[in-house]
Parts: sequence; structure tokens; C-alpha cells
Amino acid sequence: MRVIVGYGNSLRGEDAFGVDVVLALQKYPLVNTRIIEAFQLTPELCLELLDADEVVFVDASYSKTNQYALACAVRHESSSNLSHQISVAMIQELLQSVYHHFADICVYSLLTHQFDTIDNVVMYQKGVQDVVTHLLQNP
Amino acid sequence: MQKRTLIIDPVTRIEGHAKITIDLNEQGKVDDARIHVTQYRGFEKICEGRPYTEMPALTARTCGICPVSHAISSTKACDNLLAVRPPKAGRNLRRIINLGQIVQSHALNFYHLSSPDFIYGFDAPKEDRNIFNMIKTHPDMAKDGIKLRAFGQKIIEELGGKRIHPTWIVPGGVSHQISIEQKENILRQIPEAMEIAQRALKYFTQSLHKFQKEIASFASFPSLFMGIVNKKGNLEHYDGFLRFMDAEGNILEDGVDPRFYKEYIGEAVEDDSYLKSPYYKPLGYPQGMYRVGPLARLNIANACATPLADKEFEIFKNINNGKPVLNSFYYHYARLIEIIYAIERIEELLLEPETMSDNVRAHASINRNRGVGCSEAPRGTLFHDYEATNDGVITGVNLIIATGNNNLAMNAGVKQVAQAFVDGNNITDGALNRVEAVIRCFDPCLSCSTHALGIVSSKIEIRDHTKKVIEIISRS
Repeated sequence: MRVIVGYGNSLRGEDAFGVDVVLALQKYPLVNTRIIEAFQLTPELCLELLDADEVVFVDASYSKTNQYALACAVRHESSSNLSHQISVAMIQELLQSVYHHFADICVYSLLTHQFDTIDNVVMYQKGVQDVVTHLLQNP
Repeated sequence: MQKRTLIIDPVTRIEGHAKITIDLNEQGKVDDARIHVTQYRGFEKICEGRPYTEMPALTARTCGICPVSHAISSTKACDNLLAVRPPKAGRNLRRIINLGQIVQSHALNFYHLSSPDFIYGFDAPKEDRNIFNMIKTHPDMAKDGIKLRAFGQKIIEELGGKRIHPTWIVPGGVSHQISIEQKENILRQIPEAMEIAQRALKYFTQSLHKFQKEIASFASFPSLFMGIVNKKGNLEHYDGFLRFMDAEGNILEDGVDPRFYKEYIGEAVEDDSYLKSPYYKPLGYPQGMYRVGPLARLNIANACATPLADKEFEIFKNINNGKPVLNSFYYHYARLIEIIYAIERIEELLLEPETMSDNVRAHASINRNRGVGCSEAPRGTLFHDYEATNDGVITGVNLIIATGNNNLAMNAGVKQVAQAFVDGNNITDGALNRVEAVIRCFDPCLSCSTHALGIVSSKIEIRDHTKKVIEIISRS
């Protein structure tokens, strides 16, 4: 099964990219797919991923120069600077080390240099649609 | 040797952005140390002009960690504006979701933020002393942490509809009753949650002998303690009266209606931090320093009034022969006892027949122009104070956030730890970690307390006697 996790703050602008993608995906008849909308990643999310063969995280990431480019990478962040929200890398580590679950994990990120507003609605919506199309075409 | 200042920026494994400055004298010894909260949001201003009905959802957005606590205090302030008391079922359900919040937040602090220090020690290399390593070397403990947190989050989701920023808690009560299935779902998880909580407490108490130096120096000093207690003077998180206690266990104020908090609490502002410094007014600033949160709650309470928690409470009280426990390292201890209490209390409340009533909300229009809501958040006492027009438009807001109440004590703690462990002639990572760890004892939520926006990171700065920064240790 594929699990798609879209996360971000829906009250902010481009920060809500992941949430907007999963909302758009809900309009399509998806097979063998579960969609999760989240405000932020938290450790117990692992429990909902234990039956997944593939986990797709969708969010917005910081980039100073490549606004609206789409990137795919599992980011490895500093291991010392963790708080009440965690990274995709840590979710992966928890799944593997604690639950011995080795799902394929990928990240779809919309690059942006600011998260509070939507600078260019057309480009933002294109990003949402591009990710939706890509996910639908690559089940 | 020149006077120097160390700056820790950003401070790690906390929520929010802060830096620590450590001033060294000419002998390389610590003269002073302070935590500076460097983010700002201004929720109090943002809320002006909004209808009161939006306040629970709006102020809950102050925080992604304890939104339920904000929703609880906010709706209580709105109840006060409406001059209503929610029906018993509404109050019980609010209590349950608030306790679910306490469990998930406390579990996260213990397992994910603080346990690397307990497992590997404060002097372990930082490459080892982190959550990634803990997951690898102690997977069962990591699993416990996830399960316990999931238990709390599941309660929030079952009752509130979603895990973060639920909108089910509304002025007058809650928006709808819970079903038998939801109740049974939560009850089924209680035995395992309790087992995990007791295992964590056992692990912690059996490890305490390794941390005697930290216990003695992590914000270990006399101060006042403040929190809510119920009519019997027992542990309480939702509704009750303010109690102030001094370091000897003398009760300075009791039975204080939280609506009159301004008569007892002043708020000072320092020019180097966006975090306000509340103090107990009769003693003035800064002598009126007090602590809130799990340690304070257990110190001021007569009992927990649940069987298993009371057993642990008794042992805890013996630490200082019945007097308040002054060592902030024991915040971790108190947090674990509170988890046990919360699990027991959730079960009790779910089993009360009235909890399942469909009468969960009182309806009214604005009947007062000022409303104050107060509850115990995971980190301490939380106040929401609103002024509104007759039409319910908010004209003034004052928030005193749990973490802010601890600001003076956190600063005093940082200084104490720096003086105990930091040697300007040989600055070790272990010493700097302890300076951060004393802050972690309080489990501050700086995003909340400044109502702030920002990335989570921290920094230590070292300054000489002229305040010139001579070294920056970045931890992001």
C-alpha cells in the first residue's frame, strides 16, 4: 500500500503545499492508497505507516533561489536539534530501527523562500497539479 | 585573562528559538548567564478586532504542541464572557482532552528530548547523545515513547476530531458528545499506557544516582511555586484555585480565583528577551520569582487523589522531607508522575456516567466585557484574559503562558549551571550541554511563550568583559 502524507500549516501560504496536494488528490479515485493530512510530523505517525510499502511525504522546503521548483529528497538534518516536530529522516529511522519496517520513502517538496503567503498563485497551483499528476501517473 | 562571554545559540532540543549568553570574568569564571528568547509574534495584538467565537481556534494556533491547552484556557475565558458554566459532561470531556495533551507532551519531553542525556550521560559525545542513537541502541524505549505519545494524541483525535488544532472545544463546553465506541477505544489502551508510564518512571528513578551533580545544580534553589489546586488542595489541571507556596512549604496565597490573577502576578519586561518575566507581586521583581509546571504542581498539591500516582507522590514528597522539592532536575520526575495521574484520571472520568450525557454545551450571548480563563498546560499555569464589546468583538488580550512564568527561574538556573560546570579556560561540550539541559528540565515552549514564529534552533555565545562576542557555538 502507498501512504501519502501531506503536511504543513493550512493557515499559512506556501507552507500549506503538502496539505493542498492531498486535498487535490482526494478528488481522484485512488487505489491501494491512504492519504494523511498533518500539521507537522510527529513520532507516532510511524504507527500509521507500518503497513505501507511506499510512503510519500509532500511539503514545502526552503530555497533561497529556486522558488516553485519541485525537489525530491529525504533530507538528513542535524541529529542534535530536534524538537516536538521531527523530520522525514527521523520517521524513516524510527520505522527501520524500531519497527524493522523498510518502506520506500520519498519526498515531494515545493521549494520556496517564504512560507507565510503565496507569492505567485499560478505557479503554486501548477506545483500542486504537477505533484498530483506525477503521483497519479506513478502509482 | 580577559573577561569573555559564551553564547549558546541556538539552544537545542527545546521548542522555539533561544540563545544563551555566558559572561566570563578575567579569571575565566562565570560572572553571569542568561537565556534570551529571540522570536516574536504578537498574538495579543493579532486577536484584537476578532469575534470572541474565533478566539479558541485562533489562540490555539499559538502552538503546535499544546494547542489543546490554549483552546481550554481560551474557551474558559469565553465561558467567563458569556457568564456560563459548561454542563458536567462538557467539563469532563474538556478535562479528558486536556489530560491527553499532558500525556503526549510529557512523553515527548521524556523520551525524545531528554532521554539521550539520561541514557548516555551529559558528557557523552554529542554524536552519540541524540535521538537517532537512542533509537538504535534503545529501540524498545523509543517504541514506548511512540506508544505513550500516540495514546495522548489518540484521545485528542477521538474527542477533538484531529490531533493538532482540534476545534471541538467551544465556548460553553464542547461541540458534541462522544460515542460509546470512542470511549471504549480509549479505555482499551489504558492498561498498556499505564505499563509504559510505570516502566519509564522505574527507569528514571533507578538512574537518578548517576545525576547527583546535576540534581544539585540544575536550577536548585529556593523559589516560590504556583499552580492550580482543587477545592481539596489536590492536583488539578482544568479548574480550581491558585495557590502560591514558598520554598519552606508555607502557603502564601490560597483559594485565589484565577480571574483576579493581576492582583498577584506582575509581568516585567527585560530588554534582551521577548519573553516576559512574571513575578509574584507582593514580593516585587525579581524577588517574586516563582516556578510553575509539573514540579510546582506536585509541590503545592496535598495529594494527587488517584491510587497509583499517590503512591509515587508519597515517595516524591519524601525527597525533601515533605517540603517543596527545590531541584529542577526533578521536573522530569514530576512529569512522569503526572503521566500516571493523567492516565488514571482519564479512566475515572470516562467511567463517570455523566461524561456520556448529550448535554455538553451551555449557550448564551455576551454577558460580561471581560473574561479570564486559566488552566494547567503541560508546562504550567496558562492565563487567557480577554476584553470584549457587548457584540463580542475582542478589544484587548493578555496571555501569560506557562513557560513565561518560569522565565526568571530558567535564567537563575542557567546561571547556576554555568557557574557549576563552565570553566572559561576549558570549555567542554558536556558543560555546554548541561547549560542547555537545565532549560530542558522546564520543557519550555518558546514559540508559545513569546507567541512566536520561527525555526527551532539554538546558539551559545561567549563574550569577553567588554561584551564582545569571542566565540559562537551553533547547534542548528
